[in-house]
Amino acid sequence: MNPLKKLFDSTQKYFSGSGKFNALAPLFDATKTFFFLPSPRTRHIPFVRDSLDLKRFMSFVILSLMPVLLFGIYNTGLQAGIATGKPCTGVEAFLTGLTYVLPIIIVTYAVGFFWEILFASIRGHKISEGLLVTGLLFPLTLPPTIPLWQVAVGISFGVVIGKELFGGTGRNVFNPALTGRAFLFFSYPLTMSGDVWIAGKTLVDGVSGATALAVTAQEGQTITAALADSGFTLSKLFLGFVPGSIGETSTLCCLIGAAFLILTRVANFRIIIGGLAGLILTSLVFYFIPGTSGSWLNAGPLYHLCAGGFMFGITFMATDPVSAPGTDPARWVFGFLIGFLTVTIRAVNPAFVEGAMLAILFMNVFAPLLDHMVMKYKVSKRIPNV
Amino acid sequence: MEEIKLAKGFKPALAGKPDQSVIHLPDPETVGVSVMDMPYIRPKILVKENDPVKTGTPLFCDKRNQRIQYVSPATGIVSQIIFGERRHLKEIVIRLKGKNECIQFETLSPDTVDKVQKATLIRLLQEGGLWPCFRQFPFKDTADPDLEPAMIIVSMNGNDPFSPHPAAVLEHESRAFEFGIRILHQLSPRIVISSRQSSLDRLNGFKNHITHNVPDVYPAWDPGVVLYKLKTAIKENSSWCISAEHLALIGNFLLTGTYPVKRVFTVTRSNDQKPHIIARQGSPVKLLAGSFPDKSLITTGRFNGRPVDLDSHMGFFETTLNIIPDNPKEELFGFITPGISKPSASRTFLSSFLKTRTQQDCNLHGEERACVNCGYCAKICPVDLDPSFIMKAVLSDDIEDALSFGLLDCCRCGLCSYACPSKIELTHLLSNGINAYYKDKQ
Repeated sequence: MNPLKKLFDSTQKYFSGSGKFNALAPLFDATKTFFFLPSPRTRHIPFVRDSLDLKRFMSFVILSLMPVLLFGIYNTGLQAGIATGKPCTGVEAFLTGLTYVLPIIIVTYAVGFFWEILFASIRGHKISEGLLVTGLLFPLTLPPTIPLWQVAVGISFGVVIGKELFGGTGRNVFNPALTGRAFLFFSYPLTMSGDVWIAGKTLVDGVSGATALAVTAQEGQTITAALADSGFTLSKLFLGFVPGSIGETSTLCCLIGAAFLILTRVANFRIIIGGLAGLILTSLVFYFIPGTSGSWLNAGPLYHLCAGGFMFGITFMATDPVSAPGTDPARWVFGFLIGFLTVTIRAVNPAFVEGAMLAILFMNVFAPLLDHMVMKYKVSKRIPNV
Repeated sequence: MEEIKLAKGFKPALAGKPDQSVIHLPDPETVGVSVMDMPYIRPKILVKENDPVKTGTPLFCDKRNQRIQYVSPATGIVSQIIFGERRHLKEIVIRLKGKNECIQFETLSPDTVDKVQKATLIRLLQEGGLWPCFRQFPFKDTADPDLEPAMIIVSMNGNDPFSPHPAAVLEHESRAFEFGIRILHQLSPRIVISSRQSSLDRLNGFKNHITHNVPDVYPAWDPGVVLYKLKTAIKENSSWCISAEHLALIGNFLLTGTYPVKRVFTVTRSNDQKPHIIARQGSPVKLLAGSFPDKSLITTGRFNGRPVDLDSHMGFFETTLNIIPDNPKEELFGFITPGISKPSASRTFLSSFLKTRTQQDCNLHGEERACVNCGYCAKICPVDLDPSFIMKAVLSDDIEDALSFGLLDCCRCGLCSYACPSKIELTHLLSNGINAYYKDKQ
């Protein structure tokens, strides 16, 4: 028999029934089922069941995040090197990035699982796999220079207020990771947006200062020229070699993740495609408004797509099935409106430079309403059977 | 022949398709009449243990309508009356003894059948124990004889993907089947006869009777799905359905005046190709199943049958035994293995891209979790329901919402539970909701 299995079998008695650590049964169970997928016999019809379970479902989101995560670590090292005046590339940049990103991820998982285990133990239910995803999504939305205590506060808010207060996994209105980020965004704006590297590190120059969305044009200059002046060419924005939150910079990596999620049907393509359509259409409409050449109104679809966190948000945050609508037409509308609101907030509202987070959270509120309308329509099409 | 289209349903290829050859089994030592496959019935037992019975002797009737009788499929003595929980009758076992003697019922001649009164027809079928062949939607309860249904749906195929092939069931029965169809025309203005696409090529003699063909996707041939696809008005909600095999039984019964007992069964195992079996109605499971590994689960339909044990007998509506292996092995890192041979309706296993014929086991492959609204249930539901929404309405006792979402259109095919990654017992919960509503209406 597998030695690991033996270990679990021999220690099970301490964590169950009247064992010494029976309060930690959810923790033991989560650890055990992480290694060994349980497969009890079915009790009700149908007697055969699909091989897909929620653990695998969630693991596939983690897998899809790998390109974003690895690139994020590398880019963090790269940007840190530029900011500190000691540019580095390759393995060195990756290792430098790791020193920034790894502590954030570790703190997120540690604090997140503390809350999850606490609530699971009190409520006596199993630990949900959702936290594995939340715990990786949350760090990727943060700037790498964020103080670790803020990370802990943010994930606590996300998990406790954003999820557990509503009743735990499956019942939350908002995406927990985004809720945590929104809390940090409004509570500690200095560390969350704008001068990412300057805030935490020695002040070097303006080159790697603000994120692309904070760029404003000079008198008579177009927004794209202003962006190019600040080092944000379209190709750089697309590939992601720009400062910003850890996971959001590379549109390419997000697209790879989106393709994987759509191919495996873990994420619903309607939300992603709808979001892209909303973003492109809205930015095109704004593009043709005359006299706006100096602002983000004039940036056009490609810049809106590649700058900021929209692609990350629509791929990984908006497709969170719990906080998104549950019916297909509603998913199209949900995605489209996220795209629309993202561009609108970016271009029209001067208070917030980034719109994706707010757009998704706002639409999370409307998801049940969209579902309600779709269900009403569906009922009206059905031949009543009562 | 019209084609019914179905975009949803269960598409993966299954292993273990039964062989088309047919073998005859000799009469068993015991036969049983099971109540477990008859929903909503409240049986009133008419015999005592050790009573002698003939083929056609009534064993029990339905308290709700005592004229509807259930009769013995063999001659012998009542050896056991088995009760289950709360003294609910499970089955009546008859030990075969002596020569087969049949009770002689009235017969109808093919020349006058079109003029026979509907009441006479119903009385004959009720006495002969064949009225329960007609099931009435939406509950699939025994048909109400006072109602003229807007439609009667005849299904050529059984409940399981590997139920007996209609060609094997109807072999030498074409006269009875055609007689049965004439009977149906006495009962309803519209008769729909549906068949799986793949069954058609061996149904040459019957093709002119078949009105609709359905794709080879489980559960397209379920009469509930056919009704959902065809219905255009509210009054069609209470249509009736009957299986082709039962229709032939009715034809035989009315032509000969004796209770027909010949039934066709299939036994399926994932790595085996067993022939079709002809045996007496109510044959013991043990006799049909043969030998197999101890820990397997035996069901009368992998998606929507019931689990049976070896000592029980086949029910009146049951024609298939699935022997499903039990594989409770806890797999190391099971959540991330590529899964070339793992059956799945999702796209998270390589098997779904390679289209391999996959073997099924009777295990859950995970643990129950909260509903995350992923929509897999709605994506597979053949009657376009949103099972997760209905489940939430049922659990919060909001029966009005559940009904308006189409709860009663549910044909209990089991696919929502099948696909659910959170392993929620959706079909069970929906079915409970339907049953609770049925009790409420009584």
